[in-house]
Amino acid sequence: MPAELPTVDSAERVAYAEALGPTAGAAPPASVAAPRRAKRDWRGPLLAAPYFLHLAVFFGYPLVFALVLVFHRWDLVTPMEWVGLGNLGRLVADDLFARAMLNTGLFLLIHIPLQIVVALFFAELLNKRMPGQGFFRAIYFLPVVVSGVVVTILFAQLFAFDSGYVNRVLVALGGERVPWLVSPAWAMPAIALVATWKNVGLYVLLFLAGLQNIPAPLYEAAEVEGASRWQTWRLVTLPLLNPHMVTVVVLSTIGGFSLFVEPYVLTGGGPLNSTLSGLLYIYNQAFTFNHMGYAATLGLAFALLILVVVLVQRRVVEAEAT
Amino acid sequence: MRRAALLLLAVSASLAACDDGTPEPSPEASGPIVLTYWTSQNPQERAWADVLVAEWNAAHPDVQVEAQPIPAGQSSEEVLLAAVVAGTTPDLCSNIWPGVLNDFIRAGGVVALDGMPGFDSLMAARTPPELADRFVSADGRVYQLPWKTNPILMIYNADLFEEAGVARPPRTYSEYVAAAERITADTDGDGQTDRWMSARDIRPIWWQRYFDVYPLYLAASGGQTFFDASGDLAIDEDALREVYGFFQTLYQRGHLPLSTLQGNAFAQRRIASEFTGPWTAAWLVENAPDLRFDFAPVPVPDGFDGEPVTYGDYKNIAVFSSTEHPEAAWAFARFLVSPEADRLLLETTRQIPLRAGLLDDPALADFFETNPSMRRFAEQAPHTRGVDAVPSLTEVLDAVAQSYERAIYGAETPAEAVASAGERIRVIQEWAH
Amino acid sequence: MRGRLPRLLAQAALVAGAVVFAYPFVWMALATLKPEAEISALNPLPSRWTAESYRLVFETIPLDRAFLNSVVVTGLVTTLALVFGSVTAYALARLRWRGREAAFGLILFTMMVPFLVLLIPLYTLVVGFGWTDSYAGLVVPFMMNATAVLILRQHFLSLPQGLIDAARIDGAGELRILFRIVWPLSVPALVTAGIIVFIGSWNEVLWPLLVVRDEAMMTMPQMVTLFAVGGGAESRLGPQLAAALLLALPVVAAYAAFQRRFVESLATTGLKG
Repeated sequence: MPAELPTVDSAERVAYAEALGPTAGAAPPASVAAPRRAKRDWRGPLLAAPYFLHLAVFFGYPLVFALVLVFHRWDLVTPMEWVGLGNLGRLVADDLFARAMLNTGLFLLIHIPLQIVVALFFAELLNKRMPGQGFFRAIYFLPVVVSGVVVTILFAQLFAFDSGYVNRVLVALGGERVPWLVSPAWAMPAIALVATWKNVGLYVLLFLAGLQNIPAPLYEAAEVEGASRWQTWRLVTLPLLNPHMVTVVVLSTIGGFSLFVEPYVLTGGGPLNSTLSGLLYIYNQAFTFNHMGYAATLGLAFALLILVVVLVQRRVVEAEAT
Repeated sequence: MRRAALLLLAVSASLAACDDGTPEPSPEASGPIVLTYWTSQNPQERAWADVLVAEWNAAHPDVQVEAQPIPAGQSSEEVLLAAVVAGTTPDLCSNIWPGVLNDFIRAGGVVALDGMPGFDSLMAARTPPELADRFVSADGRVYQLPWKTNPILMIYNADLFEEAGVARPPRTYSEYVAAAERITADTDGDGQTDRWMSARDIRPIWWQRYFDVYPLYLAASGGQTFFDASGDLAIDEDALREVYGFFQTLYQRGHLPLSTLQGNAFAQRRIASEFTGPWTAAWLVENAPDLRFDFAPVPVPDGFDGEPVTYGDYKNIAVFSSTEHPEAAWAFARFLVSPEADRLLLETTRQIPLRAGLLDDPALADFFETNPSMRRFAEQAPHTRGVDAVPSLTEVLDAVAQSYERAIYGAETPAEAVASAGERIRVIQEWAH
Repeated sequence: MRGRLPRLLAQAALVAGAVVFAYPFVWMALATLKPEAEISALNPLPSRWTAESYRLVFETIPLDRAFLNSVVVTGLVTTLALVFGSVTAYALARLRWRGREAAFGLILFTMMVPFLVLLIPLYTLVVGFGWTDSYAGLVVPFMMNATAVLILRQHFLSLPQGLIDAARIDGAGELRILFRIVWPLSVPALVTAGIIVFIGSWNEVLWPLLVVRDEAMMTMPQMVTLFAVGGGAESRLGPQLAAALLLALPVVAAYAAFQRRFVESLATTGLKG
């Protein structure tokens, strides 16, 4: 574990320091450069010690255990058996894992842009400071606080094909029933819709924070120069929102990769594997089939993939901004 | 600052100290032996267990039993296995599905019962002779006390069948499809089907197939389970093709909705039939008293003739190696299968204890008189098959569930689906070796 | 340019959004008060109001006890995560020490690894400590929270150094500075971190399912999941929805109580969750 950490550290430190919002960049230099007094040096490690002791036990040990599992076959009940690189070989040849990765990719492709567009839309509206602003902010955030179990129990009913409330309303309005969770083409978009509905409130607030931090004189200047609303938005708002955009993209990517409870409850990964997410597949390997070694291999590969995607995204979003 | 650091330490220490959730009785302790007994989450079964536990505790002040429900359905798998891995199993559990027993045996997690006092005489007196040798494990020992089996039959709504002019429950696939033709309808004229012949949870979850593919497959194959006695794969592919073809026809023609209906569709008269066990009768009597229903064997392929076999959802009693009081646990297990306990099980949960001569028991004559549908389950019970106790069972069943899904969605023909299931199972077995 | 029509449209869009986000909950609340057969009906209002679904829930499962357990567990987890999170975040933000950057990177890395991968080893560990069926098993593995550290560190970075220097000159120790001077200035960040930890802890299902078997120790989401998905509700929709609503209520109430502060601090500082 220690060997690969420095790279993760420096790259991610920058990633998060900026991802965490505009205040990070604006932090006064003095705050970072605390007085360099050698005799104070031991206080930092001492204060951080409880956290890292805990981390060593409750994260380090399981992680090392998982790394050991990568080279073993273990069904939980009989002793582990060394298989060398067997689990990796299996991963490379596993069509279903590839399918789960594709599905997760498709989910992210729908989920992230949808999340951004919807969140930006409502953040812009809330930024107009209209009556009831506080109320609306609170309502939009409501699904975020509610448990995923509640949301899936709710949407299993709302999205039911034959008697679900959403289809009832669609038919009453003269429309057709939509095979939300039961057609291979619709199931993943439906799940992306549920996930977006559940999480978008958080991103509305993040964008709203960004919008409120944009100095009014910039808009006035744009107006004086005769810029159209679209131009103003494109040239003033969007660039200044970039740090928040990074946060939203990174967070919804990590959140999107952890898609699990929605397909687990709503579709079981079907129909025809169309909603089999990475985590759902890992879960099945671990707890349905008891392939703990293979599941650990998949899990660590998955963690690496998340890391790579997040790093690449940051590069892209930042390049876009400059 | 030092004081504050100590406080933090103290907090973590006191947290560590409050782990006295269930006090484990030590053998030397002077108090009574306490047995932990895991029962099912199902309310009727819990009621049954509560009655028996209270009775036992009153009569045995030195051996007190504490019942805990274990979760059913999707979450039971990881819970049971996690307990075995961690050695946190109870003293005994009455809800052991034979499919997981194999794992417990390999882990050394369960106690062989055949050496226990009175085991042979109990088995000889209680277990139906047709099934006697089905509970012996590969090593020749017996680790489970057969408790109950719930045969899967076809329940049907007698009123809906009559209204549609279906005179008697369909026996064969063509009769079933013909009946489905008449029953499936749009009753309120909004252009959408709102009554179906049947409905199933279509999510590709392996154990859901115990209520459609597996019982029909067992019937079509004359009782051939997926594995043979030596643990090798032995699927009757012709029978499986027949079953896939049957369901493909029903789904493609819309006689079964290609979606999962919410709520109890049978009680709401939205479907006319279902493949299910006797617990449904218990539930309906309580929750839909006006519904007229009856049970019949599951349909078989046209031209099939022979013994009607179906899937039996066996639940047996096991004593775990983690117990410090195997003898006491065994005594309580025997108490759970006494004639009185079996009668109570039948009456309160409407599930079928695995007891020979149920139908001849004079104490139950009244019960079968007033509950004729339960008679069908009692008659069927000896003609059931459970699941094979093999290591890759769930994975093989998952492969079947996936291929079945491809068949009902029309993505593959029944023959292709059976072939691709075989392909997948070969890969699974390659990985397993 | 900023005419009346666009404002009206914007207002309408806001209302439409509120309907989309809130109506499912309203529908659910009404559905729990309907007779079972009416739940999928188009009319969201019951033809006859009934508490039958709730009666069934309370008859079947001891939710009151589960509620208490959840309050204790979530309360402990949140408090400890804030206390230890502050101490750690303070060390990361305001003290210079060798390995600080690596330490922070390590915390970020822990957030990337799917919990599922760690689940079984963690479980065997907790069993090894003898913590099954106990508050310790539910609390200790989660008493440190990386998200709380991130949020608090971010906030601590923005505080003026002069404040801390002044306290140091007065001879205050670092913990004293943290809890006496920094904490009072960090209420919005503490509320934000607290709510995020609270939501996560309150809603955790898989872990309690593994470590708690004794019904008297079960948490509320665990019990509701067992009830709704595990068969206790016996495929009746009303009780399933009622149990789900009861599970949502406390967290919604907590959110409503702190909502102003929380949303405010999130919206003004742009902290992440």
